[in-house]
Amino acid sequence: MDRIAFEGLGKRYHDQWALRGVNARFVEGEVVMVIGPNGSGKTTLIKCLLGLVKATEGAIQVNGALVGNDPLYRAAIGYMPQYAEFPRELTVDQLLRMMNDIRDARSGSTDDRLIKLLGVDALLDKRIITLSGGMRQKVSAVLAFRYRPDILVLDEPTAGLDPVSATKLLDAVVQAKRNGATVLITSHIMEEVQRLGDRVAYLQDGRLRFALPPETITEVTGEPSLALALPKYLAQLPPAHVESL
Amino acid sequence: MWKVYKYTLLDLARNRFALGYALLLLLVSVGLFMLESDNTKALISLTQVVLALVPLLALIFTIIYFYNQYEFTVLLAVQPLRRQSITRAQFLAIGTALLVSFLFGVGFPVVAYAPSPIGWTLLLTGAALTLVFCALGMFIAVGQRDRAKAVGIGLATWVFMVLVYDSLLLWLMFSFSDRPIEPVIVPLAALNPIDLSRILVMLKVDLAALLGYTGAVYQKFFGGAGGMLVSFVALLLWMLLPAWGAVRTFARKDL
Repeated sequence: MDRIAFEGLGKRYHDQWALRGVNARFVEGEVVMVIGPNGSGKTTLIKCLLGLVKATEGAIQVNGALVGNDPLYRAAIGYMPQYAEFPRELTVDQLLRMMNDIRDARSGSTDDRLIKLLGVDALLDKRIITLSGGMRQKVSAVLAFRYRPDILVLDEPTAGLDPVSATKLLDAVVQAKRNGATVLITSHIMEEVQRLGDRVAYLQDGRLRFALPPETITEVTGEPSLALALPKYLAQLPPAHVESL
Repeated sequence: MWKVYKYTLLDLARNRFALGYALLLLLVSVGLFMLESDNTKALISLTQVVLALVPLLALIFTIIYFYNQYEFTVLLAVQPLRRQSITRAQFLAIGTALLVSFLFGVGFPVVAYAPSPIGWTLLLTGAALTLVFCALGMFIAVGQRDRAKAVGIGLATWVFMVLVYDSLLLWLMFSFSDRPIEPVIVPLAALNPIDLSRILVMLKVDLAALLGYTGAVYQKFFGGAGGMLVSFVALLLWMLLPAWGAVRTFARKDL
């Protein structure tokens, strides 16, 4: 069964299409790296999936069910935004308890490994206002992974993290994938994209140009790395080429 | 909704602005009561301060708090929660925090120095204005993407209601003084929550002449319990309509 299915998805802001005719299916245990130039529609695609923006046309299915007005489908999703902001006067522990309450998580049902792995256990008594941007990102990562979601949506997850924490986070992504999660990651770091991605979904001008394994792109172009292969591969594509996925 | 309310309130309980607001009101209230030997006169002065200060600070605080929480609100909107419940919870939490600050800053001094019908009316209208302008602040903030623009609209709303509206009413009354304008002026006065609150206190103080022509007209028409009821219903509508608008707008908005 498809975890996520986009069917003719389109989003228009005023008279400008931010996303148009996106058809794609992502299955369980798959890491999809969503890449593309600025303004290509990556954020809009993710926001459509998260229910933050309403699609102008098309449909989205999550775990086989059409996404509508019922917010309960989002219980299957963990989201880590690019910039994390939380109520400034709460402690990290209070924030975690708040999310537990919202998610109706029972004691022991959560995955707390990242709390120790990223050193968030040392921050539990600290108020959010005293945390650095990187520390907030770690808390944000914990919240995304904590409820063992079927789908993880990570927006530039390693931006603002120190190298060691970034590596630990990416290891957690691999672990989540092994446990069957479908992971959508936006990233501009090609090493990350090549290392993690089972498929690379490339968006341009609001259209999904392709969603292929990174190895396919490197093999077709004969380049050793995705960073070198991608521009070559794009140059080979006809301007209006849109893969049917 | 109550889960979000509880933790938002916990966050607001430690908010420095909310604490500062309570202390400022306490300082002003106690100062006025200590400076003025006649408690009724002190209450009238306090009424003028409350009618100007409370709407302004409730409006601006709500707008700024909403923007400060925006990224987290987006994160909440990604949880299995209805958006309506998020906005309702935030409105109720901000309203509760501002109400507690108001009751601490103005309520304690009024109870201590002037526990009279005028004092109770001032507390009641001040509390109503707090919620009205909190609702207006939510409505403005939810509808605008830009924080500076939202604050600007908030300030313009406040200036309009505190200064411009009364001037317009006076101009209208003087311009049409040779005609029976009262039936028009009364509902027009009810369109401004600050005027309404002023009238409610004025009805208790019986100092219509000091409180403007609008108040005098209102007293003539609604001197009794009926007038109070109509005024409170109008204030309730002033609170509920923007709050409903904020909830509805946020539910449909692209975040």
